[in-house]
Amino acid sequence: MLIFDQFKKSDRPLWFLTVVVLAGLLVLLGGLWYIQGVSSRKYVESLRTQSFRKVRYPALRGRIMDRNGMVLADNRPSFNINLYLEELSGSFQEAFREKQKAWRAAHPRQRMAKAERDELGRLGRFSVVSNLVQQLGQQLNQPLALDPAGFLKHYTNRLALPMPILENLPQEKVLLFEEQPNRLPGLSLDFQPMRTYLHGTLAAHLLGQVRMTERVEASDGEPEIDYDYCLPDCLGLVGVEGAFDNELRGSAGVKAILVNHLGYRQSEKYWSEAEPGCNVVLTIDWRIQKIAEQALQAAKEDVRGAVVVVDCRSGDILAMASAPTFDPNQFIPRVKPDDWAKLSDEERNPTLNRATFGAYTPGSIFKIVVALAGLECGIITPTDIFASQGHYVLGKRLIKDTAGAGDFNLRRALVRSSNSYFIEYGLRMGLPRLMDMSTRFCLGQRTKVPLRQEVAGFFPTPAWVEKMKEQGTPIHIGEIANLCFGQGQVTVTPLQMAMMTAAVANGGKVLWPRLVDRIEAPGPAGSRLLKTYPAGAVRNLLGVNPANLEVVREAMLADVEDRREGTGCNAAVPGFRVTGKTGTAQVMKNNIFHHYNTWFVSFGPYENPKYAMAILVEYGASGGATCAPVARKIYEVIKQLDENPNYSLPEKPIYRPVQPARKSNRAAASPPAGQKVAMANPSASQP
Amino acid sequence: MYEQILRERVTRVDWALWIALGGLMCIGLAFIHSATSVQEHLRDLPWYRQFAFLQAVWYGVGIAAVVGMCLVDYRVWARWSMLFYWLAIALLVLVLFMGSTKGWGARRWIDLKFFSLQPSEFSKLAFILAQAHFLSRPTEELRQAPVFWRAIGMIVLPFLLILKEPDLGSALVLMPVGLAMMFVAGVPEIFLRRLVGGAILLMTLILVDVLFLPSRWHVIKLEDYQRRRILVYFGRNYTPANTTREATRLARIQQFNDSYNVRQALISVGSGGITGKGWRQGDQIRLGFLPRGVAHNDFIFSVIAEEKGFLGSVTVLALYTVVLFAGIRTANQARDRLGKLLASGVVTLFFGHVFINIGMNIRIMPVTGIPLPLLSYGGSSVLCSLIAAGILQSVYWYRKTY
Repeated sequence: MLIFDQFKKSDRPLWFLTVVVLAGLLVLLGGLWYIQGVSSRKYVESLRTQSFRKVRYPALRGRIMDRNGMVLADNRPSFNINLYLEELSGSFQEAFREKQKAWRAAHPRQRMAKAERDELGRLGRFSVVSNLVQQLGQQLNQPLALDPAGFLKHYTNRLALPMPILENLPQEKVLLFEEQPNRLPGLSLDFQPMRTYLHGTLAAHLLGQVRMTERVEASDGEPEIDYDYCLPDCLGLVGVEGAFDNELRGSAGVKAILVNHLGYRQSEKYWSEAEPGCNVVLTIDWRIQKIAEQALQAAKEDVRGAVVVVDCRSGDILAMASAPTFDPNQFIPRVKPDDWAKLSDEERNPTLNRATFGAYTPGSIFKIVVALAGLECGIITPTDIFASQGHYVLGKRLIKDTAGAGDFNLRRALVRSSNSYFIEYGLRMGLPRLMDMSTRFCLGQRTKVPLRQEVAGFFPTPAWVEKMKEQGTPIHIGEIANLCFGQGQVTVTPLQMAMMTAAVANGGKVLWPRLVDRIEAPGPAGSRLLKTYPAGAVRNLLGVNPANLEVVREAMLADVEDRREGTGCNAAVPGFRVTGKTGTAQVMKNNIFHHYNTWFVSFGPYENPKYAMAILVEYGASGGATCAPVARKIYEVIKQLDENPNYSLPEKPIYRPVQPARKSNRAAASPPAGQKVAMANPSASQP
Repeated sequence: MYEQILRERVTRVDWALWIALGGLMCIGLAFIHSATSVQEHLRDLPWYRQFAFLQAVWYGVGIAAVVGMCLVDYRVWARWSMLFYWLAIALLVLVLFMGSTKGWGARRWIDLKFFSLQPSEFSKLAFILAQAHFLSRPTEELRQAPVFWRAIGMIVLPFLLILKEPDLGSALVLMPVGLAMMFVAGVPEIFLRRLVGGAILLMTLILVDVLFLPSRWHVIKLEDYQRRRILVYFGRNYTPANTTREATRLARIQQFNDSYNVRQALISVGSGGITGKGWRQGDQIRLGFLPRGVAHNDFIFSVIAEEKGFLGSVTVLALYTVVLFAGIRTANQARDRLGKLLASGVVTLFFGHVFINIGMNIRIMPVTGIPLPLLSYGGSSVLCSLIAAGILQSVYWYRKTY
């Protein structure tokens, strides 16, 4: 080597110096190679970690439509004024320097501690932003104040994200802000898609609720990323929003915000775009839904109840209403405190979907099941006559009967709703036969309607009876007697009753209720089909003799059409043969009569059944008086629809909710004449 | 044979040295510009106040000084060396009383309005001149203990003064320089071994004290920040055992902050990879993670390594290698022992700076405020580096001509 050759005569110290220098340089070379060559990837990763903030941003939520393509749940732009703090970093520094100058003047010849510097920085930043917010308030003619704690929280935790100053700005304020000649620094008008329910309370319980939240778990097919921030996304809780949350939500996108060493945003880029959610098309018809809701609201004052209308041939749910109702828009972006008080009222419980989540005693409408069970085993024949004494004596217990004394065949027993008749035959056939028939109707089992709000209801099963026996509380004959007219150990949901009626109407097919028709690809209505749910899926076949079924159907027709004796004659619609069965179930509290839950189940038209419905009103007067008129109102619109498929409901509601009556009008609000209400009859079920 | 001699007579300028130094100066200008142009308040300065321009001015001034120096034989300078030495000592004393801190907490600068003089830089040069002059006496005298102790005293005086500023890095760099010069001069090795042995023992004691003893047993009084620096270098936790949770948390934060520079420099160097991100494209400096106050001086190597990658680092290292070996060659060819001592002193000084500075960027050395010769921004440093190179040139100019 050139350098070493030059050491003439062995100059040991210089030689040593050369070796040390060379060794040192080789150490540096090795170190550099190790850091820049071998472990470079690790440092690139650290650089990424400290300079990027990964943000999850939600996808556009899919729409929910009715069977006609009418959009029920959509997205609207919500205008927000955001503050981009990085644009103010110069002003922050200026404010800090001013404060520092003042501090130095006040504390000469003193060193500023770090804590004091930080405090001055905080104060400086707050004064800058607070001034800005006040100026914005002046521009928009509305008082605005910056919350110090909120600002500090945002600054420490979410500095890379813009800070929301005003959310959900009304149109005129948006214009006012846009028209300002002098723009305030750092403030910018952004819009954000926001869930909206275009028809307010329409189908509220079906659509369900969403919650705007930052803690959202990844939906299917979305990459699991360790996000630094999540922007608020809609999380479906109940209803279709809840059950189809995965489909509706789409998959969120990832945005990477480049920040500087102080954490201020520098730029951002999209690592992956969000994929919008799919559209869900329901089976309901908004017109029937609307009239069902109006009719239900008009049933009585402060009504609590439910209506389910199904297509009895396919099992499609055409309408499902629950009262009292609520506006799902109240949950967006979050519930206001006074709204919350109303929504969480335990007594009224407006968010409860009574059509599927309410388990009610069926009362006399259960006699349909008892009659079919009796006909099937031959214990009841249509021509047998039972002479009722107007009450039934069971051991020491006297069960009263509003149908009165007289001779009853099956038809008359159903029309007049004779308890004595059904107790007599029900006890004769025994509990196993009743259990068999109710199992065939799938009572006591969930219908799996995709609402995330459903109870199974209850009816004794052989296993349950066995269990009770083992526990030493065997089922008593009085309890079986109660079951025979739909009281006691039995609860059902209005949806189950609608499906039961549909099975009677369609000739013995218990269908799965269908609420969602299809799922469409994102985009306008009628986009590419992703999935369809087949109509008319059979859940169970009753396997009963068609003649026996016809007996029951004929009796149900008579219940509405028999002017003299029918309890459901309030449901009659001229030109549309409605059938029905009323029910008035007693609700006991601490073994004392509390109130009636009134029912009306019905199908129509009689010759060629298309529709089946179940109507429930809590605290009703009687099935015939309270619920049958609701059915009539719905059938009237259905008849119009059948005649003219393009029939459109008038803008103004046809029926209005009953206003609380004044004391003097109390009498007028009571049930119409001709309907006897035996309030003093705690042990019997009303017609 | 004659031709070579003839050529050497003609080429008295050490071209290898100056080409390498020129390369380093170009790189210095380019990356000081890169490190400062991304900062708004520096970018918007008028051109004549830009750091890169000021650095170019200092390069000019330094080269002029070199030319001036080379016109005079280094033996003449050596004759005046004791004057320079005491002048430097006087400045070091002065800086303790009227030094400016530049906001860094240590008094290292004397503010001359147009220029902040850093006496510790000049004192290194003065020390090399004086020490070379002192040690160039006949080798027999060097075997006497009093001479040895006087040589040691010449190191210790500026060492203590610089340590008082405090500027541990600059103080420590004096040690190998003095040691190497004594070694080359021919001071008996037994003395040197004892010296080195003593120094190692002292270092060990300090480290054991700081790293392993509980705080109430500390014998050696170190400033708190010095103690923390040593802990950071050895990657040890601050928190003594059994303290409150709050104290532990605060200590963690403190440690995180203290190791910030090291960590960021390492991320800069490492993320550069093999080829780098391109000139002015460094993320660390652009986003300000690499502290902006020091990016253009003490941490300029991180900027180069990030933007030009391993290839850039190797280029810089290669240029320094040329400078260092040109210096060793000069020492070997020097006319007399004075020239040899001067050259080896300058080589050790350069090597010390390069090793400590690059070493702290890749975490094999602790963080000290030692500039990288000619690359780091700073008038005193540039001027001293060029004058030191001028000493080399002067020794080369008047070298043996056979």
